[in-house]
Amino acid sequence: MKNNRTPLALLIFVAAVFWLSFLPENEKTIQEFKLKNVDGKYISFKNYPQAKGFIIVFTCNHCPFAKLYPERLNALNSKYKKLGVPLLAISSTDTITYEEDSFLNMAIKAKREKFNFPYLFDGLQTVAKQFAAQKTPHAYVLWKVGGKWVIKYSGAIDDNGAEPDKVENPYVARAVDALLAGKDAAVKETKSIGCQIYFRK
Amino acid sequence: MKRTRLHLLLLISCWFCSCNEAHTQSYNKLWIPDTLAGTNFNLTIKDTFAQLTPGNQTITAGINNKFWGPTLIFKKGDVVHLNVKNKLNEATTLHWHGFHLPAVMDGGPHQVIPAGTLWQPYWKVTNNAATYWYHPHLHEMTEEHITKGIGGLIIVRDEEESALPLPRKYGVDDIPLVLTDRSFNSQKQFTTVPYGDSMMVNGTLRAQTSVPAQVVRLRVLNAAIERSFNIGFSDNRNFYIITSDGGLLNAPVSVNRYLLHAGERVEILVDFKGQSGQSFDLKAYNSTLANAIAGGENFPGGPFANYLGKKDFTMVHLNVSAQTSNPITSIPTTLKNNVLLKAADANLTRIITMSDSTGVRSPTILGPNAFILNHKLFDINYNNNNVPVGNTEIWEIRSTSGFGHPFHIHDVEFNILSINGAAPPAAQAGWKDVVFVPSRQTVRFIAKFEDYADALHPFMYHCHISLHEDEGMMGQFVVTGSTTPTLEPIKNESNIVVYPNPANDRVFVSFSDRNMEAYYVRIVNMLGKTMYMLPRPQLSEGIEIGHFAPGVYLIQVTDEKTKTVFTKKFTKE
Repeated sequence: MKNNRTPLALLIFVAAVFWLSFLPENEKTIQEFKLKNVDGKYISFKNYPQAKGFIIVFTCNHCPFAKLYPERLNALNSKYKKLGVPLLAISSTDTITYEEDSFLNMAIKAKREKFNFPYLFDGLQTVAKQFAAQKTPHAYVLWKVGGKWVIKYSGAIDDNGAEPDKVENPYVARAVDALLAGKDAAVKETKSIGCQIYFRK
Repeated sequence: MKRTRLHLLLLISCWFCSCNEAHTQSYNKLWIPDTLAGTNFNLTIKDTFAQLTPGNQTITAGINNKFWGPTLIFKKGDVVHLNVKNKLNEATTLHWHGFHLPAVMDGGPHQVIPAGTLWQPYWKVTNNAATYWYHPHLHEMTEEHITKGIGGLIIVRDEEESALPLPRKYGVDDIPLVLTDRSFNSQKQFTTVPYGDSMMVNGTLRAQTSVPAQVVRLRVLNAAIERSFNIGFSDNRNFYIITSDGGLLNAPVSVNRYLLHAGERVEILVDFKGQSGQSFDLKAYNSTLANAIAGGENFPGGPFANYLGKKDFTMVHLNVSAQTSNPITSIPTTLKNNVLLKAADANLTRIITMSDSTGVRSPTILGPNAFILNHKLFDINYNNNNVPVGNTEIWEIRSTSGFGHPFHIHDVEFNILSINGAAPPAAQAGWKDVVFVPSRQTVRFIAKFEDYADALHPFMYHCHISLHEDEGMMGQFVVTGSTTPTLEPIKNESNIVVYPNPANDRVFVSFSDRNMEAYYVRIVNMLGKTMYMLPRPQLSEGIEIGHFAPGVYLIQVTDEKTKTVFTKKFTKE
């Protein structure tokens, strides 16, 4: 009897690993985090008790491709914050390599470009690691499901960086619209496009 | 430095969704890289993006540009200083392909430039007039960095070449053509694959350019990851090869096809006299290539399947326009009197084997097995060969590989003695730094290893198919000789003085021992970021630190003879 248990346990284990490996990545849940905003105040999800979801955008100061998006981020926040889906921008790039991405320079940029959303400093890169953010910009749409924050979209903000008037697929906006309508996003994942976020060891 | 290579699945999916960008629209104007001349060159390697196809932009990397870099013009005999700033968010290197220079300046896998660092190599140009290039060479990252677009051409001029009646109006009758191929995924981004589905010339898809109705010089570089290009014209005309990789041939060689492998350059003359108003295509006639030649395979699926495989395709469309003033109208009959090395000059024959590994798998492997040299994968900590300075050596490359490989060696230009027992074709009977070793054949070449003995920094030799190189088809050698360390290292920090301290604009380094000399200087800030990497700096004028943020910095000075590292602190005010 005892001898028979091992293969069964192994089988269950293998099946579990097999099943886990097929869990869609965009169903990942995100743990609460707390980061310092450019105004010096710390921000977490608790600051938004009414939020149905969040648009989280990993971005930075220096990346040429990320530089194309601030106006579109302002527009997303203006439109969706009042519908219960505020936007939080997070900078997680290596400030040793890029002085331009330092907290001080983030504050200067947020003021100069009139960011209407928090611009949070992830100096230890822990939040970017939790999301597995790849590039700047890398957008996520989080949604509150059964008290948990679930990733419902991950990837590019839209499909044209330099020519906003030629955008055909505003991925983030469409995902939020769908979720607000009680549906899942039609496109749940794209590849984020921009500068690689390098994680310090 | 290690990276996770693309998974097979990902590759196959890229292959399915990649659209072939080359055959969907009209022509684009061929981009001609701008030039930088003189003795001081500022090169900034950066992440950027480019509008290569309609729709979203493609993330690229370039040098002072959005894709590729400026063409550097060197004069033989000048000491050139390169100020290379790495503004990528990762380490890279920049290798000066074909140049005879100190190994510590070579930009191979050992001269890593960390993100955010300035690297300042310099050397005296001793190469002959010809077309050379520069490209990244970080081990296991070369394919990815080249794919992004990092690289550039170098034109060397010398008195001999300048005296010849050859076209040399850059971009007018002397046109650079950098041949590459790329694949785009459905989001218009490059996929890092050995073969692209879309031909690119100078970073331009579906390129066209005008050429004047006279003798035109085309400087052609094969900068592809893997593909060879069997060059010819759509009207099947003859053209004239005037250089091999590293210099002029004795006389122009008339051909109607020329097979150019990865890393190789060839300058050709084409006579468009009296053809104003007509158009021709410069094509790759790859349908006739053997299966064992890159681009001649015809895989129906998998990571090596590609739209351009075993096909003839247009590389650049040429529209013949009016003649310019002072045109070159005839092909010279002779070019140069090359004194080539003879087998009898050699004092050593070295055998390098080239094979398909069975069972040796690279950690980054894409194919079923790695291709290897000397029966082992490249190990950055293992020196394969010692070459005594002053040696003239025959290198015999014996291939048992089922595939042909372009073999490249750093430090020297060589002369081919034989390919499979026969003398090289006329177009290769000159100075070369890449030689194609056909499948299961033996190639012998001869080279003289002069100057620049250095026991610490090796030179590389490798297959110039970047994928094969990254997977470990590479070896290294050091040139041994008089600058090999002979003294026991003595660590005494009082041997160097860094002044003034605190400093404002410049710091100076001096040695108490007159036998000491700076081999390498590195300046690191207190966060550990390398600010400067200065191989063999000229210290008499001090080191410029004016733009550094105020704070404390470490300066590490390596002594030339003993290779001892001395570390000092200084404060920038």
